[in-house]
Amino acid sequence: MRIVRRVVPPLGVLVLVVAAWFVASNVLLKPDRRFLLPSPDAVVRISYLDRYHLADLLRALALSAQVALAGLAIAFVVGVASAVLMSQARWLERSLYPYAVLLQTVPILALIPLFGYWFGFGYVSRVLVVVLFALFPVIANTLFGLRSVDRGHHDLFTLYGAGRLTRLWKLQLPTAVPSIFTGLRVSAGAAVIGAVVGDFFFKQGQPGIGQLIQNYSQGTTPELLFGSVLLSSLFGLVVFLVFAGVARRVASWHESNES
Amino acid sequence: MSALLTVSDVDHTYPDGTAALDGVSLRVAPGEFVSVVGPSGCGKSTLLRLAAGLLTPSAGTVGRGAGSLGCVFQDPTLLPWRTVRRNVELAAELHRLPRAERRSRAEGALDRVGLAGFAGARPGTLSGGMRMRVSLARALALRPDLFLFDEPFGALDEITRSRLGADLEGLFQADGFGALFITHSVVEAVTLSDRVLVMSARPGRLLAEVEIPLDRPRARFGPEFGELAEKVSTALRGEA
Repeated sequence: MRIVRRVVPPLGVLVLVVAAWFVASNVLLKPDRRFLLPSPDAVVRISYLDRYHLADLLRALALSAQVALAGLAIAFVVGVASAVLMSQARWLERSLYPYAVLLQTVPILALIPLFGYWFGFGYVSRVLVVVLFALFPVIANTLFGLRSVDRGHHDLFTLYGAGRLTRLWKLQLPTAVPSIFTGLRVSAGAAVIGAVVGDFFFKQGQPGIGQLIQNYSQGTTPELLFGSVLLSSLFGLVVFLVFAGVARRVASWHESNES
Repeated sequence: MSALLTVSDVDHTYPDGTAALDGVSLRVAPGEFVSVVGPSGCGKSTLLRLAAGLLTPSAGTVGRGAGSLGCVFQDPTLLPWRTVRRNVELAAELHRLPRAERRSRAEGALDRVGLAGFAGARPGTLSGGMRMRVSLARALALRPDLFLFDEPFGALDEITRSRLGADLEGLFQADGFGALFITHSVVEAVTLSDRVLVMSARPGRLLAEVEIPLDRPRARFGPEFGELAEKVSTALRGEA
Protein backbone atom coordinates (compact mmCIF):
# COMPACT_ATOMS: atom_id res chain seq x y z
CA MET A 1 0.00 0.00 0.00
CA ARG A 2 2.81 2.38 0.90
CA ILE A 3 4.54 1.57 -2.35
CA VAL A 4 1.35 2.39 -4.24
CA ARG A 5 1.03 5.71 -2.44
CA ARG A 6 4.63 6.55 -3.24
CA VAL A 7 4.59 5.48 -6.86
CA VAL A 8 1.16 6.47 -8.12
CA PRO A 9 1.38 10.29 -7.72
CA PRO A 10 4.68 10.74 -9.61
CA LEU A 11 3.41 8.31 -12.21
CA GLY A 12 0.33 10.49 -12.62
CA VAL A 13 2.54 13.52 -13.16
CA LEU A 14 4.51 11.58 -15.74
CA VAL A 15 1.34 10.73 -17.65
CA LEU A 16 0.29 14.40 -17.58
CA VAL A 17 3.69 15.58 -18.79
CA VAL A 18 3.75 13.08 -21.64
CA ALA A 19 0.21 14.05 -22.59
CA ALA A 20 1.13 17.74 -22.61
CA TRP A 21 4.21 16.92 -24.61
CA PHE A 22 2.09 14.99 -27.12
CA VAL A 23 -0.35 17.87 -27.47
CA ALA A 24 2.38 20.46 -27.77
CA SER A 25 4.12 18.48 -30.45
CA ASN A 26 1.14 17.35 -32.51
CA VAL A 27 -1.34 20.19 -32.04
CA LEU A 28 0.54 23.35 -31.12
CA LEU A 29 3.59 22.99 -33.33
CA LYS A 30 3.22 23.28 -37.07
CA PRO A 31 4.66 20.28 -38.92
CA ASP A 32 7.65 22.27 -40.20
CA ARG A 33 8.52 23.30 -36.61
CA ARG A 34 7.90 19.88 -35.10
CA PHE A 35 11.64 19.08 -35.03
CA LEU A 36 11.87 21.37 -31.98
CA LEU A 37 9.81 18.91 -29.97
CA PRO A 38 9.24 15.61 -31.71
CA SER A 39 6.21 13.64 -30.60
CA PRO A 40 6.85 11.19 -27.76
CA ASP A 41 5.62 8.23 -29.77
CA ALA A 42 8.10 9.10 -32.53
CA VAL A 43 10.90 9.36 -29.98
CA VAL A 44 10.10 5.94 -28.60
CA ARG A 45 9.66 4.43 -32.07
CA ILE A 46 12.86 5.79 -33.55
CA SER A 47 15.14 5.63 -30.49
CA TYR A 48 14.03 2.56 -28.60
CA LEU A 49 12.09 0.36 -31.04
CA ASP A 50 14.65 0.61 -33.80
CA ARG A 51 17.11 -2.21 -33.24
CA TYR A 52 20.17 -0.35 -34.53
CA HIS A 53 19.53 2.89 -32.73
CA LEU A 54 18.72 1.07 -29.53
CA ALA A 55 21.97 -0.90 -29.79
CA ASP A 56 23.93 2.34 -30.25
CA LEU A 57 22.24 3.92 -27.26
CA LEU A 58 22.68 0.91 -25.00
CA ARG A 59 26.32 0.46 -25.96
CA ALA A 60 27.00 4.11 -25.15
CA LEU A 61 25.02 3.86 -21.93
CA ALA A 62 26.94 0.76 -20.88
CA LEU A 63 30.22 2.54 -21.46
CA SER A 64 29.09 5.60 -19.50
CA ALA A 65 27.87 3.38 -16.69
CA GLN A 66 31.24 1.69 -16.64
CA VAL A 67 33.03 5.05 -16.53
CA ALA A 68 30.76 6.28 -13.76
CA LEU A 69 31.21 3.14 -11.69
CA ALA A 70 34.97 3.04 -12.16
CA GLY A 71 35.24 6.69 -11.14
CA LEU A 72 32.89 6.16 -8.22
CA ALA A 73 34.89 3.17 -7.02
CA ILE A 74 38.13 5.14 -7.16
CA ALA A 75 36.50 8.12 -5.42
CA PHE A 76 35.17 5.79 -2.75
CA VAL A 77 38.53 4.17 -2.01
CA VAL A 78 40.51 7.40 -2.18
CA GLY A 79 37.83 9.32 -0.26
CA VAL A 80 37.50 6.84 2.60
CA ALA A 81 41.28 6.44 2.80
CA SER A 82 41.94 10.17 2.97
CA ALA A 83 39.17 10.67 5.53
CA VAL A 84 40.68 7.90 7.66
CA LEU A 85 44.05 9.56 7.36
CA MET A 86 42.62 12.93 8.36
CA SER A 87 40.78 11.39 11.31
CA GLN A 88 44.04 10.13 12.73
CA ALA A 89 45.63 13.48 13.43
CA ARG A 90 44.29 17.00 13.73
CA TRP A 91 47.27 18.44 11.91
CA LEU A 92 46.65 16.15 8.94
CA GLU A 93 43.04 17.23 8.81
CA ARG A 94 44.01 20.87 9.07
CA SER A 95 46.54 20.45 6.27
CA LEU A 96 44.45 18.36 3.88
CA TYR A 97 40.82 19.30 4.38
CA PRO A 98 41.09 22.73 2.76
CA TYR A 99 42.12 20.97 -0.44
CA ALA A 100 39.16 18.65 -0.21
CA VAL A 101 36.96 21.73 0.05
CA LEU A 102 38.80 23.22 -2.88
CA LEU A 103 37.68 20.20 -4.93
CA GLN A 104 34.16 21.31 -4.28
CA THR A 105 34.62 25.01 -4.93
CA VAL A 106 36.98 25.09 -7.87
CA PRO A 107 35.02 25.19 -11.13
CA ILE A 108 35.61 21.60 -12.18
CA LEU A 109 34.78 22.38 -15.78
CA ALA A 110 37.77 24.72 -15.83
CA LEU A 111 40.11 21.90 -14.83
CA ILE A 112 38.83 19.47 -17.41
CA PRO A 113 40.92 20.70 -20.35
CA LEU A 114 44.01 20.15 -18.19
CA PHE A 115 43.06 16.50 -17.81
CA GLY A 116 42.93 16.07 -21.55
CA TYR A 117 46.27 17.78 -21.83
CA TRP A 118 47.83 15.40 -19.29
CA PHE A 119 46.00 12.12 -19.71
CA GLY A 120 44.69 12.20 -23.26
CA PHE A 121 41.20 12.68 -24.56
CA GLY A 122 39.82 9.21 -23.89
CA TYR A 123 38.73 6.79 -21.22
CA VAL A 124 41.26 7.70 -18.52
CA SER A 125 40.32 11.35 -18.53
CA ARG A 126 36.60 10.54 -18.48
CA VAL A 127 37.09 8.41 -15.38
CA LEU A 128 39.15 11.15 -13.74
CA VAL A 129 36.39 13.68 -14.29
CA VAL A 130 34.00 11.34 -12.49
CA VAL A 131 36.49 11.01 -9.61
CA LEU A 132 36.72 14.77 -9.36
CA PHE A 133 32.93 15.08 -9.19
CA ALA A 134 32.44 12.23 -6.72
CA LEU A 135 35.35 12.57 -4.32
CA PHE A 136 34.30 15.33 -1.95
CA PRO A 137 31.01 13.91 -0.66
CA VAL A 138 32.76 10.68 0.27
CA ILE A 139 35.54 12.49 2.13
CA ALA A 140 33.25 14.89 3.97
CA ASN A 141 30.69 12.30 5.03
CA THR A 142 33.23 9.67 6.03
CA LEU A 143 35.15 12.16 8.11
CA PHE A 144 31.95 13.29 9.78
CA GLY A 145 31.07 9.68 10.56
CA LEU A 146 34.49 8.85 11.97
CA ARG A 147 34.28 11.91 14.19
CA SER A 148 30.78 11.26 15.48
CA VAL A 149 31.75 8.39 17.78
CA ASP A 150 30.08 8.66 21.16
CA ARG A 151 32.36 9.76 24.00
CA GLY A 152 31.28 6.83 26.14
CA HIS A 153 32.40 4.43 23.43
CA HIS A 154 35.75 6.17 23.18
CA ASP A 155 36.12 5.89 26.96
CA LEU A 156 35.32 2.22 26.78
CA PHE A 157 38.05 1.59 24.24
CA THR A 158 40.54 3.71 26.18
CA LEU A 159 39.69 1.86 29.34
CA TYR A 160 40.39 -1.53 27.85
CA GLY A 161 43.63 -0.40 26.29
CA ALA A 162 42.65 -0.35 22.61
CA GLY A 163 45.31 0.95 20.22
CA ARG A 164 44.74 3.42 17.44
CA LEU A 165 44.14 0.81 14.75
CA THR A 166 41.81 -1.27 16.90
CA ARG A 167 39.83 1.83 17.70
CA LEU A 168 39.62 2.74 14.03
CA TRP A 169 38.65 -0.73 12.88
CA LYS A 170 36.32 -1.82 15.65
CA LEU A 171 34.78 1.49 16.66
CA GLN A 172 35.18 4.43 14.29
CA LEU A 173 34.62 2.70 10.96
CA PRO A 174 31.53 0.76 12.08
CA THR A 175 30.12 3.96 13.58
CA ALA A 176 30.76 5.76 10.29
CA VAL A 177 29.06 3.19 8.06
CA PRO A 178 25.72 5.05 7.64
CA SER A 179 27.53 8.33 6.93
CA ILE A 180 29.79 6.63 4.42
CA PHE A 181 26.74 5.34 2.58
CA THR A 182 25.16 8.77 2.64
CA GLY A 183 28.31 10.11 1.02
CA LEU A 184 28.23 7.33 -1.52
CA ARG A 185 24.64 8.17 -2.44
CA VAL A 186 25.50 11.80 -3.08
CA SER A 187 28.62 10.78 -4.97
CA ALA A 188 26.73 8.32 -7.15
CA GLY A 189 24.55 11.13 -8.46
CA ALA A 190 27.60 13.27 -9.05
CA ALA A 191 29.35 10.39 -10.81
CA VAL A 192 26.58 10.13 -13.41
CA ILE A 193 26.84 13.84 -14.11
CA GLY A 194 30.61 13.51 -14.28
CA ALA A 195 30.38 10.69 -16.80
CA VAL A 196 28.14 12.71 -19.13
CA VAL A 197 30.26 15.84 -18.74
CA GLY A 198 33.45 13.85 -19.39
CA ASP A 199 31.91 12.65 -22.65
CA PHE A 200 31.45 16.20 -23.84
CA PHE A 201 35.15 16.86 -23.55
CA PHE A 202 36.89 13.57 -24.23
CA LYS A 203 35.73 12.05 -27.45
CA GLN A 204 38.42 9.58 -28.33
CA GLY A 205 37.50 5.91 -28.32
CA GLN A 206 34.04 4.43 -27.88
CA PRO A 207 31.36 7.09 -27.44
CA GLY A 208 29.47 7.33 -24.16
CA ILE A 209 25.91 8.55 -23.78
CA GLY A 210 27.03 12.18 -23.38
CA GLN A 211 28.82 12.02 -26.66
CA LEU A 212 25.82 10.53 -28.41
CA ILE A 213 23.73 13.40 -27.10
CA GLN A 214 26.17 15.84 -28.64
CA ASN A 215 26.32 13.95 -31.92
CA TYR A 216 22.54 13.71 -32.18
CA SER A 217 22.18 17.39 -31.37
CA GLN A 218 23.98 18.11 -34.61
CA GLY A 219 22.24 15.40 -36.60
CA THR A 220 19.05 15.40 -38.60
CA THR A 221 17.02 13.10 -36.33
CA PRO A 222 15.84 15.11 -33.31
CA GLU A 223 13.97 12.03 -32.04
CA LEU A 224 17.36 10.46 -31.28
CA LEU A 225 18.50 13.54 -29.37
CA PHE A 226 15.41 13.35 -27.18
CA GLY A 227 15.76 9.58 -26.85
CA SER A 228 19.36 9.84 -25.69
CA VAL A 229 18.64 12.67 -23.25
CA LEU A 230 15.75 10.69 -21.76
CA LEU A 231 17.87 7.59 -21.47
CA SER A 232 20.67 9.42 -19.66
CA SER A 233 18.11 10.93 -17.27
CA LEU A 234 16.69 7.52 -16.62
CA PHE A 235 20.18 6.26 -15.96
CA GLY A 236 20.79 8.97 -13.38
CA LEU A 237 17.45 8.24 -11.77
CA VAL A 238 18.12 4.51 -11.51
CA VAL A 239 21.56 5.07 -10.01
CA PHE A 240 20.09 7.50 -7.49
CA LEU A 241 17.30 5.13 -6.51
CA VAL A 242 19.65 2.19 -6.10
CA PHE A 243 22.14 4.04 -3.91
CA ALA A 244 19.47 5.88 -1.95
CA GLY A 245 17.80 2.54 -1.25
CA VAL A 246 21.05 1.02 -0.08
CA ALA A 247 21.88 4.03 2.10
CA ARG A 248 18.42 4.01 3.63
CA ARG A 249 18.60 0.33 4.44
CA VAL A 250 22.00 0.71 6.05
CA ALA A 251 20.84 3.72 8.05
CA SER A 252 17.66 2.06 9.28
CA TRP A 253 19.61 -1.05 10.21
CA HIS A 254 21.92 1.11 12.28
CA GLU A 255 19.10 3.11 13.81
CA SER A 256 17.03 0.12 14.78
CA ASN A 257 20.06 -1.07 16.67
CA GLU A 258 20.70 2.22 18.41
CA SER A 259 21.37 1.63 22.09
CA MET B 1 46.48 -6.56 51.92
CA SER B 2 47.30 -3.66 49.65
CA ALA B 3 44.49 -1.48 48.39
CA LEU B 4 42.98 -1.96 44.93
CA LEU B 5 42.46 1.76 44.63
CA THR B 6 44.05 4.59 46.52
CA VAL B 7 43.00 8.18 45.87
CA SER B 8 45.12 10.68 47.80
CA ASP B 9 44.36 14.38 48.16
CA VAL B 10 43.01 14.68 44.66
CA ASP B 11 41.91 18.02 43.26
CA HIS B 12 40.51 18.30 39.82
CA THR B 13 39.82 21.40 37.82
CA TYR B 14 38.68 21.21 34.21
CA PRO B 15 40.40 23.31 31.55
CA ASP B 16 37.39 25.65 31.48
CA GLY B 17 38.04 26.49 35.14
CA THR B 18 35.27 24.37 36.69
CA ALA B 19 36.53 22.96 39.97
CA ALA B 20 35.12 19.44 40.25
CA LEU B 21 36.96 17.89 43.18
CA ASP B 22 38.69 19.34 46.19
CA GLY B 23 41.04 17.28 48.34
CA VAL B 24 39.39 13.87 47.95
CA SER B 25 41.03 10.80 49.50
CA LEU B 26 39.68 7.28 49.60
CA ARG B 27 40.72 3.63 49.53
CA VAL B 28 39.09 0.50 48.25
CA ALA B 29 40.45 -2.73 49.73
CA PRO B 30 40.05 -6.14 48.05
CA GLY B 31 36.55 -7.47 48.57
CA GLU B 32 35.28 -4.14 49.82
CA PHE B 33 32.23 -2.35 48.44
CA VAL B 34 32.50 1.42 48.75
CA SER B 35 29.80 3.83 47.58
CA VAL B 36 30.00 7.53 46.99
CA VAL B 37 26.73 9.46 47.27
CA GLY B 38 26.30 13.12 46.58
CA PRO B 39 24.04 15.68 44.91
CA SER B 40 23.89 15.93 41.13
CA GLY B 41 26.88 17.60 39.55
CA CYS B 42 29.07 17.18 42.63
CA GLY B 43 31.99 15.69 40.76
CA LYS B 44 31.16 12.04 41.48
CA SER B 45 31.60 11.09 37.86
CA THR B 46 34.86 12.99 37.70
CA LEU B 47 36.05 10.93 40.65
CA LEU B 48 35.18 7.76 38.81
CA ARG B 49 36.86 8.87 35.60
CA LEU B 50 39.98 9.65 37.60
CA ALA B 51 39.87 6.25 39.27
CA ALA B 52 39.48 4.59 35.84
CA GLY B 53 42.49 6.46 34.51
CA LEU B 54 40.40 8.31 31.91
CA LEU B 55 41.43 11.60 33.50
CA THR B 56 44.61 12.75 35.20
CA PRO B 57 44.08 14.71 38.43
CA SER B 58 45.16 18.33 38.61
CA ALA B 59 46.74 17.59 41.98
CA GLY B 60 47.16 14.51 44.16
CA THR B 61 47.60 10.92 43.08
CA VAL B 62 45.47 8.00 42.00
CA GLY B 63 47.02 4.56 42.48
CA ARG B 64 45.58 1.27 41.34
CA GLY B 65 46.76 -2.12 42.55
CA ALA B 66 47.56 -4.99 40.24
CA GLY B 67 44.66 -6.91 38.74
CA SER B 68 42.07 -6.17 36.15
CA LEU B 69 39.47 -3.44 36.12
CA GLY B 70 35.85 -3.56 35.08
CA CYS B 71 33.78 -0.46 34.45
CA VAL B 72 30.03 0.04 34.19
CA PHE B 73 28.75 3.47 33.23
CA GLN B 74 25.30 4.97 33.42
CA ASP B 75 25.03 4.59 29.67
CA PRO B 76 25.50 0.92 28.77
CA THR B 77 27.76 1.99 25.86
CA LEU B 78 26.99 -1.12 23.82
CA LEU B 79 28.03 -1.24 20.19
CA PRO B 80 24.76 -1.38 18.23
CA TRP B 81 26.22 -3.32 15.31
CA ARG B 82 27.37 -6.20 17.49
CA THR B 83 25.23 -8.94 18.96
CA VAL B 84 24.91 -9.21 22.72
CA ARG B 85 27.51 -11.98 22.85
CA ARG B 86 30.00 -10.01 20.75
CA ASN B 87 29.42 -6.97 22.94
CA VAL B 88 30.21 -8.99 26.03
CA GLU B 89 33.31 -10.32 24.34
CA LEU B 90 34.55 -6.82 23.57
CA ALA B 91 36.45 -6.09 26.77
CA ALA B 92 38.12 -9.50 26.65
CA GLU B 93 38.79 -9.01 22.95
CA LEU B 94 40.53 -5.68 23.53
CA HIS B 95 42.62 -7.41 26.17
CA ARG B 96 43.63 -9.89 23.47
CA LEU B 97 42.31 -13.01 25.13
CA PRO B 98 42.12 -15.99 22.77
CA ARG B 99 38.85 -16.46 20.94
CA ALA B 100 37.75 -19.67 22.65
CA GLU B 101 38.52 -18.20 26.06
CA ARG B 102 36.56 -15.02 25.49
CA ARG B 103 33.67 -16.95 23.99
CA SER B 104 33.38 -19.15 27.07
CA ARG B 105 33.81 -16.20 29.41
CA ALA B 106 31.15 -14.24 27.55
CA GLU B 107 28.73 -17.13 27.79
CA GLY B 108 29.47 -17.57 31.47
CA ALA B 109 28.99 -13.86 32.15
CA LEU B 110 25.71 -13.72 30.19
CA ASP B 111 24.48 -16.71 32.12
CA ARG B 112 25.28 -14.98 35.40
CA VAL B 113 23.31 -11.85 34.53
CA GLY B 114 20.38 -13.94 33.35
CA LEU B 115 20.70 -13.22 29.63
CA ALA B 116 21.91 -16.59 28.38
CA GLY B 117 19.02 -16.73 25.93
CA PHE B 118 19.81 -13.37 24.37
CA ALA B 119 23.36 -13.96 23.13
CA GLY B 120 22.33 -13.55 19.51
CA ALA B 121 20.12 -10.47 19.99
CA ARG B 122 21.10 -6.94 19.01
CA PRO B 123 21.25 -4.32 21.78
CA GLY B 124 18.59 -2.24 20.01
CA THR B 125 15.99 -4.92 20.65
CA LEU B 126 16.60 -5.05 24.42
CA SER B 127 15.05 -3.03 27.25
CA GLY B 128 17.11 -0.54 29.25
CA GLY B 129 17.52 -2.96 32.14
CA MET B 130 18.67 -5.75 29.85
CA ARG B 131 21.19 -3.46 28.17
CA MET B 132 22.59 -2.61 31.56
CA ARG B 133 22.90 -6.32 32.29
CA VAL B 134 24.84 -6.77 29.05
CA SER B 135 27.11 -3.93 30.09
CA LEU B 136 27.60 -5.61 33.46
CA ALA B 137 28.34 -8.93 31.77
CA ARG B 138 30.94 -7.25 29.55
CA ALA B 139 32.83 -6.10 32.63
CA LEU B 140 32.30 -9.43 34.43
CA ALA B 141 33.86 -11.33 31.52
CA LEU B 142 37.19 -9.78 32.48
CA ARG B 143 36.84 -11.26 36.00
CA PRO B 144 37.88 -7.91 37.46
CA ASP B 145 39.43 -7.48 40.87
CA LEU B 146 38.10 -3.94 40.97
CA PHE B 147 34.75 -2.75 39.64
CA LEU B 148 33.97 0.89 39.01
CA PHE B 149 30.30 1.81 38.72
CA ASP B 150 29.12 5.24 37.62
CA GLU B 151 25.41 5.45 38.51
CA PRO B 152 24.82 2.26 36.57
CA PHE B 153 21.13 2.07 37.36
CA GLY B 154 20.46 5.80 37.30
CA ALA B 155 18.46 5.74 34.08
CA LEU B 156 16.28 2.77 34.99
CA ASP B 157 12.84 2.53 36.53
CA GLU B 158 12.56 1.74 40.23
CA ILE B 159 11.60 -1.93 39.89
CA THR B 160 14.34 -2.76 37.39
CA ARG B 161 16.71 -0.79 39.50
CA SER B 162 16.15 -2.69 42.72
CA ARG B 163 16.20 -6.02 40.91
CA LEU B 164 19.54 -5.20 39.31
CA GLY B 165 20.84 -4.02 42.67
CA ALA B 166 19.93 -7.35 44.23
CA ASP B 167 21.62 -9.22 41.37
CA LEU B 168 24.73 -7.11 41.77
CA GLU B 169 24.79 -7.89 45.46
CA GLY B 170 24.66 -11.59 44.60
CA LEU B 171 27.55 -11.25 42.16
CA PHE B 172 29.54 -9.33 44.73
CA GLN B 173 28.98 -11.98 47.38
CA ALA B 174 30.01 -14.72 45.00
CA ASP B 175 33.10 -13.05 43.56
CA GLY B 176 34.28 -10.77 46.32
CA PHE B 177 35.62 -8.09 43.99
CA GLY B 178 36.37 -4.62 45.26
CA ALA B 179 33.95 -1.96 44.09
CA LEU B 180 33.66 1.79 43.92
CA PHE B 181 30.02 2.62 43.31
CA ILE B 182 28.86 6.10 42.42
CA THR B 183 25.17 6.81 43.02
CA HIS B 184 22.73 9.46 44.13
CA SER B 185 20.44 6.92 45.75
CA VAL B 186 20.93 6.58 49.50
CA VAL B 187 18.94 3.33 49.64
CA GLU B 188 21.05 1.81 46.90
CA ALA B 189 24.26 2.84 48.61
CA VAL B 190 23.24 1.46 52.00
CA THR B 191 21.97 -1.78 50.46
CA LEU B 192 25.15 -2.53 48.61
CA SER B 193 28.05 -1.04 50.53
CA ASP B 194 30.44 -1.79 53.32
CA ARG B 195 31.14 1.93 53.55
CA VAL B 196 29.27 4.94 52.20
CA LEU B 197 31.14 8.16 51.50
CA VAL B 198 29.08 11.34 51.35
CA MET B 199 30.20 14.05 49.00
CA SER B 200 29.42 17.77 48.97
CA ALA B 201 28.15 19.87 46.09
CA ARG B 202 30.74 21.07 43.61
CA PRO B 203 33.62 21.27 44.09
CA GLY B 204 33.21 17.81 45.63
CA ARG B 205 34.68 17.14 49.04
CA LEU B 206 34.11 14.10 51.23
CA LEU B 207 31.86 15.15 54.11
CA ALA B 208 31.26 11.95 56.00
CA GLU B 209 31.87 8.25 56.03
CA VAL B 210 29.23 5.81 57.20
CA GLU B 211 30.07 2.16 57.93
CA ILE B 212 27.32 -0.31 57.02
CA PRO B 213 27.86 -3.37 59.23
CA LEU B 214 24.67 -5.20 58.14
CA ASP B 215 24.67 -8.87 57.15
CA ARG B 216 24.14 -9.75 53.52
CA PRO B 217 21.85 -10.19 51.75
CA ARG B 218 20.21 -7.15 53.24
CA ALA B 219 16.58 -6.50 53.95
CA ARG B 220 15.88 -2.97 52.86
CA PHE B 221 13.31 -2.10 55.47
CA GLY B 222 14.65 -3.20 58.85
CA PRO B 223 15.07 -0.64 61.65
CA GLU B 224 18.86 -0.80 61.45
CA PHE B 225 18.72 -0.20 57.73
CA GLY B 226 16.50 2.81 58.26
CA GLU B 227 18.82 4.22 60.88
CA LEU B 228 21.86 3.95 58.62
CA ALA B 229 20.02 5.41 55.66
CA GLU B 230 18.91 8.30 57.87
CA LYS B 231 22.51 8.84 58.93
CA VAL B 232 23.65 9.08 55.29
CA SER B 233 20.71 11.34 54.43
CA THR B 234 21.48 13.64 57.32
CA ALA B 235 25.08 13.96 56.19
CA LEU B 236 23.84 14.80 52.69
CA ARG B 237 21.32 17.34 53.98
CA GLY B 238 23.85 18.93 56.26
CA GLU B 239 25.52 19.91 53.05
CA ALA B 240 22.42 21.15 51.26
